[in-house]
Amino acid sequence: MRNLLKSGAMAAAIMAGMGTAPGWADNLVLWVNAPLASGPDAPLYAELKKFETETGNKVEVQAVPHMEMERNLFVAMSGGAGPDVMALDIAWVAGLADAGLLMDITEQSAPLAAQYQPGPLAGGRYQGKQYALPLYTNNAALIVNDKMLAQAGIDKAPATWEELRAATVAMTNAEKGTYGISFGSNRMGAFQLYPFIWQAGGEIIDDAGKSHVADPEAIAAVDFLAKLYTQDKAMPESVLTAGNWDEVHAPFIQERAGMVISGDWAISAIKKNAPNLAFSIHPLPQGKKAATVIGGYNLAVRQGTASPKAAFQLVEWLTGERSIELMGKYQRLSATVAATTPEAIAKLPKEMQPFMAQAGAGHPRPVVASWSEMHGVFGNMWDAVIRGKPAAEALAEANAEVENLLAR
Amino acid sequence: MTTRTRETTRLKPHWSSIFENGTGARLYPYLMVMPAILIAIGVVVYPVVSGITSAFYDVTLRTLNSGDMPFVGMRNFERVFADPNFMRASLNTVIWVVLNVVAQLGLGLALALLLHRIVPGIGFFRSGILVPWVVPSVVAVLTWRWMYDPSVGIVNEMLVRLGVINDYHPWLGDTATALYAVTVESIWKGTPFVMLLLLAALQLVPKSILEAASMDGASGWRMLWHVILPQIRVSFAIAAVLTFILTVNNFNAIWLMTEGGPLNSSEILFTLAYKYGFQRFDLGRASAVATMLFVGLVIATTIYLKLIQAKEAD
Amino acid sequence: MSTSSSTRETARDRSTASLRRRRTPKWVRMALLYAGLWAAFIWCVFPFYWMIATSLRAKDEIFARPPSIVPHAITLQNYVDLLIGAQFWRFALNSLFLTLSVTVISVLLSVTAGYAMARHRFKGSVMLPLFMLYGQMFPPVLLLIPFYIQLKFLGWLDSLYGLIPVYLSYMLPLCVWLMRGFFAQVPHSLEDAARLDGCTRWQAFWRVILPMARPGIVAVATWVMIHTWNEFLYASTFILSERNRTLPLGLSGLIGQYTTDWGMLMAGGVVTAAPILLIFFFLQKHLVAGVGGGAVKG
Repeated sequence: MRNLLKSGAMAAAIMAGMGTAPGWADNLVLWVNAPLASGPDAPLYAELKKFETETGNKVEVQAVPHMEMERNLFVAMSGGAGPDVMALDIAWVAGLADAGLLMDITEQSAPLAAQYQPGPLAGGRYQGKQYALPLYTNNAALIVNDKMLAQAGIDKAPATWEELRAATVAMTNAEKGTYGISFGSNRMGAFQLYPFIWQAGGEIIDDAGKSHVADPEAIAAVDFLAKLYTQDKAMPESVLTAGNWDEVHAPFIQERAGMVISGDWAISAIKKNAPNLAFSIHPLPQGKKAATVIGGYNLAVRQGTASPKAAFQLVEWLTGERSIELMGKYQRLSATVAATTPEAIAKLPKEMQPFMAQAGAGHPRPVVASWSEMHGVFGNMWDAVIRGKPAAEALAEANAEVENLLAR
Repeated sequence: MTTRTRETTRLKPHWSSIFENGTGARLYPYLMVMPAILIAIGVVVYPVVSGITSAFYDVTLRTLNSGDMPFVGMRNFERVFADPNFMRASLNTVIWVVLNVVAQLGLGLALALLLHRIVPGIGFFRSGILVPWVVPSVVAVLTWRWMYDPSVGIVNEMLVRLGVINDYHPWLGDTATALYAVTVESIWKGTPFVMLLLLAALQLVPKSILEAASMDGASGWRMLWHVILPQIRVSFAIAAVLTFILTVNNFNAIWLMTEGGPLNSSEILFTLAYKYGFQRFDLGRASAVATMLFVGLVIATTIYLKLIQAKEAD
Repeated sequence: MSTSSSTRETARDRSTASLRRRRTPKWVRMALLYAGLWAAFIWCVFPFYWMIATSLRAKDEIFARPPSIVPHAITLQNYVDLLIGAQFWRFALNSLFLTLSVTVISVLLSVTAGYAMARHRFKGSVMLPLFMLYGQMFPPVLLLIPFYIQLKFLGWLDSLYGLIPVYLSYMLPLCVWLMRGFFAQVPHSLEDAARLDGCTRWQAFWRVILPMARPGIVAVATWVMIHTWNEFLYASTFILSERNRTLPLGLSGLIGQYTTDWGMLMAGGVVTAAPILLIFFFLQKHLVAGVGGGAVKG
């Protein structure tokens, strides 16, 4: 009984061993998040065809929904199996790298490093080693309902915290049931509030691995946002429940909230559900400085893959400059430097341009092993603050938890 | 039909006669049980034993990958007890289970009594009442989530129109209502199965008793208590045990509606175990919670069944 | 229908004398019955109706406030998009294959095992059913990794055949337990009568007891069918390639990281539930037919 788990693990190890034995061909298994391979006509397949004819390798695509990706990777890799190349939310890289599940590609990627934007590239780096390269990037901007803003008597989109608060309050009308800004709860809200911490000049975890969660800057940012709900009543009630982007967007789409902080994925959602809504997209308002939060997906190679060379080739192929065109077909942004030139930006659809334009202000979330958990800590902190807990107190508790996680 | 059977058996010996006496007779029950047992050993015993074993090892992403999982004794359990969420989750689990089991059994019995009679259109009603069970769980839960939504929820709209509440309420976002809002969905989803079990059992009750019971309006409750329930007590007990198990292990409802939030107000032990295991990748701690849950279920079920058996023996 | 109502008439005639206090006339009781049936029906079906309504709404109406109970403009676009793709039918066939296999196997195995446990005394006949049940009590999510290792060892990962044993582990103990309960409620006298008539034990079981237990079998089969058809957790972990996906996996593919196509997802839910509802509509007769005759009354 004692040895049961061991024997299971041994079986797994044997399997993994068989996996590393030189195979007869470089057959790569690629896990991507489901939207990239949503049907047989998905642009990804055409791109992979080119890769196959040029390199002679074969690629089998397995689409995994975002919701199940992390769990499935965990189960498969604990069982000693898994894909050769995988698309990872940039927030997951550190955890998997820390467990030794990702191949160190520092050396191979060094000559390529210059072609990626520094923010997204840093998202694939853990403890000085590169484990993943960026497939696409996104960031959060301020989306404004033009009509509601004008009706509130304001002629330009808020560019500072003061203006944001003024606009939010001005658009709120209890009688008409309108609010200034739609915000998410828990993890959604946490994602939206990180940029405000950086804007305030604060930090979450510094490069030395020290937590700054309870610093005055962070407290100011959280306090500023939370008061928009607790004091000004300028956020719709969905701030208490919204746990996915659709629920965050809903009040904005209904024209009950005049603004929302979201990413490029909001564009198609708004257009589809409210074709007549006139909206514009602006950089997030500045505090002491401009800042936004970077999201997106990376490609990584599994440690122990049978064909490390071909696997890296595939990563290089999909993340390089080809990604400008490929990701464009998905209405997503390439994370290459070449995508940020004025000419490249001009080629993007109009609504996408503000996102690329502010990419330079993007901060990656801390690349630490237990980030997923810390994100949850922030989510709970946000939930507590909007229910009336003082920001300083909530952040002090969150800080203790984060320090605990860092110490592990 | 019965007559024909009789004829054939008298004319020629049937292959199954070998089970009538001697070794065949002794083996007969074992042979009938064997296939199920073999499968159970293969696919139930190993995973469960391995799951329990993990509770005593340090099983994380890192140790799993290196293949070297140190034995840590009771440390995983100690860490679980040290988590303030654990007490909260245990309490919520009790509330969750009691509400679900009582409501599902009560409603299930009421529905079964309503539906057992053959009246015009009964097939339509029976199928309709089975709907909650048939809808894929993920879609059902997400639909309820939409129905509760504080911006577009139809539940809010209808309650406002009926004058029950004045304004849209964030049912899933209020720490006071989240657990109960999820419970309503879970009751909705679980009741049809109880109904079906009890309906099938009611069919075995001699008709004359039911007729008498249904006719005697005044003493209907007494008839239900003294006549019908004793007749279907075995199925009722089974339904109780199954509802109990299924409720404790019902994951989708809470996970997809609230993830145990807000502020852990709807956390149950199962969601806690999931968080340990698949958000924090600490399988040792997750297994410790699962093992406690398992032991709790085993003890509760065994006591309940022993009580029933004791009652029957009287 | 006609027989049962005539039985009721006679039964009532017989009992009228003893039931002096009966006041409610028949039509009131029927009205109450139907009122109850409709109330239950609406409670159970409304969320499903809401799914249908959402699936029929134009995209710009899904977020409308206040929500309208009846969609303003109806569009079948979601269903067209869903059913026209070859993927959907592939997923449906996979689900069908899995559901049929698992249902047939678990019903066959649980009928014999349940019967033996209910009727025969043998070593472990008391504890065995309890142990089977215990197997059902471990949270299924935590069995993912042991299962994965087992399936990998057997080379059954990413295959529909591999899912069959996994599903059996999750269905069989409950089925056996349920069947045992149903058999325990079938009166002994029937079996004894058949045995006196010269049936072997097997024949008595197969030709007399089994038809009697039909409502139970239908209940168990329905349970297995629905749970296999809708099972998501194991399928989503052990099935990787497109060609082996089942319907629930196809549905979850519609739930995006950023936005979800709600109309399409709801349409998918409706289409997934429909066949099972249809099957049950025809099966439900057998919930009664098994003991419809006078056999039990005897």
